[in-house]
Amino acid sequence: MNIIGPDYLVFGVDDVAAACEYLTAFGLKPVDVTEKGGRFETLDGTGVVVRHKSDPTLPPPLPTSNMLRQQVYGVRSAADLDAIEAELSSDRRVTRLSDGSIELKDDHGFELKFQVTIRRELDMPAEKINAPGAPAQRGPNEIGVWEDMPALPRTLSHVVLFVPDIEIATHFYCERLGFVVTDILTGAGPFLRPKANDDHHTLFFIRTPDYMKGCEHLAFHMGGPTELMVAGTRFVKKGYQSFWGPGRHKFGSNWFWYFNSPLGCHFEYDADMDKHDDSWVAREAPNGAEASQIVLFEMREKWAPGGGPPPGAKG
Amino acid sequence: MQNDVLIDERPGLAPAARRLCHVKDIGEGEARGFGPLPGSKRKIIVLRRKGVLHAWLDACPHYATGTPMAWKTDAYLNGEKTHLTCHSHHALFDMETGECVLGPCLGQTLTRIDIVVGEEGDVFVAAPAEET
Ligand code: FES
Ligand SMILES: [Fe+2]
Repeated sequence: MNIIGPDYLVFGVDDVAAACEYLTAFGLKPVDVTEKGGRFETLDGTGVVVRHKSDPTLPPPLPTSNMLRQQVYGVRSAADLDAIEAELSSDRRVTRLSDGSIELKDDHGFELKFQVTIRRELDMPAEKINAPGAPAQRGPNEIGVWEDMPALPRTLSHVVLFVPDIEIATHFYCERLGFVVTDILTGAGPFLRPKANDDHHTLFFIRTPDYMKGCEHLAFHMGGPTELMVAGTRFVKKGYQSFWGPGRHKFGSNWFWYFNSPLGCHFEYDADMDKHDDSWVAREAPNGAEASQIVLFEMREKWAPGGGPPPGAKG
Repeated sequence: MQNDVLIDERPGLAPAARRLCHVKDIGEGEARGFGPLPGSKRKIIVLRRKGVLHAWLDACPHYATGTPMAWKTDAYLNGEKTHLTCHSHHALFDMETGECVLGPCLGQTLTRIDIVVGEEGDVFVAAPAEET
């Protein structure tokens, strides 16, 4: 089962205009978007679909206040869809749609869809850095930052779910769908990577009471930590609300910056995540402030130290 | 309000430093954020419901530190404009009682900020703002 990762997350919101404004400002590109909502893309075509919560084309809501309606996973080929259907139709209804994709529910009732991935292959450089002792990544006259530098989400990176039972969730994704546990934050939950993706995680669970079941956040890969901080700074300047970050996680090593949203969950810019293969042995650490980040910063308004004495100082 | 940064002693903020807004700044069913007042990290949300002004600390009780609730400057309400909303995990709060009626902090309550309205219609924090 060559599952690559999330292609789209689908949300049913109470204010479509607000969600559309937010997603656009976050850096996603509206595609076929009307006043009824639509699809918002990253650079590789993955992204978010929003519609009004009463839209009859949406899958049914969770029995909580969460707005997540469906997670759409991309797989490599039609054969992978057949394999998933064969595995899961033994104990649940699997619906085959006319485009070949399949829909079903996971063991917690989250709506899932699997399709041959729509993601486009990206061909663009990562952030380049120079350091003594290493060959220069940016050669002479190649500058690192400039005022209008691009800082757009490249791809949908990962989803974090509030689930009441970690064992049920882990069993479903690992035993039935071939995900691998890369690391565990004890007290929260495991980081999972699907077989056809070497990112540290595309999925993470946090144990919560039943009434919180839903999406905690979704994250988008940026080209590097500088792009992440530039995008986040621009977002804050437009009035959007930072929740946590910027900082850098320990497990996964990814830089992070989380924001509130009108979609009922956080949106995260992330960058520079670890890659793993099957030889990796999962680490475990108790969840907490120390385990979850190596550094944490909080944005402040720009200022600069000047040259002269303080105003009013006796000189 | 430029001089606020110079007034950092609490309790006993000068009245000018405790001013939030004017009564006319908040229409029926609207909510806006002001501050933070000197010495506090969180804004104060002022809203009008059934003609009455209420003020709440902009600190969702879901996490002990209390986190800011808007998704954008002054965007504190849900889409239907019926509830104060934390746009972290979509907790809904009663606008008049501050009680969480749906979401992660179900049953918990926002911190009420006592306010007074001056003769000119200015809205002030009555007690020193709490540090959060
Ligand atoms: S932080 Fe407010 S609902 Fe979670
Ligand atoms: Fe994340």
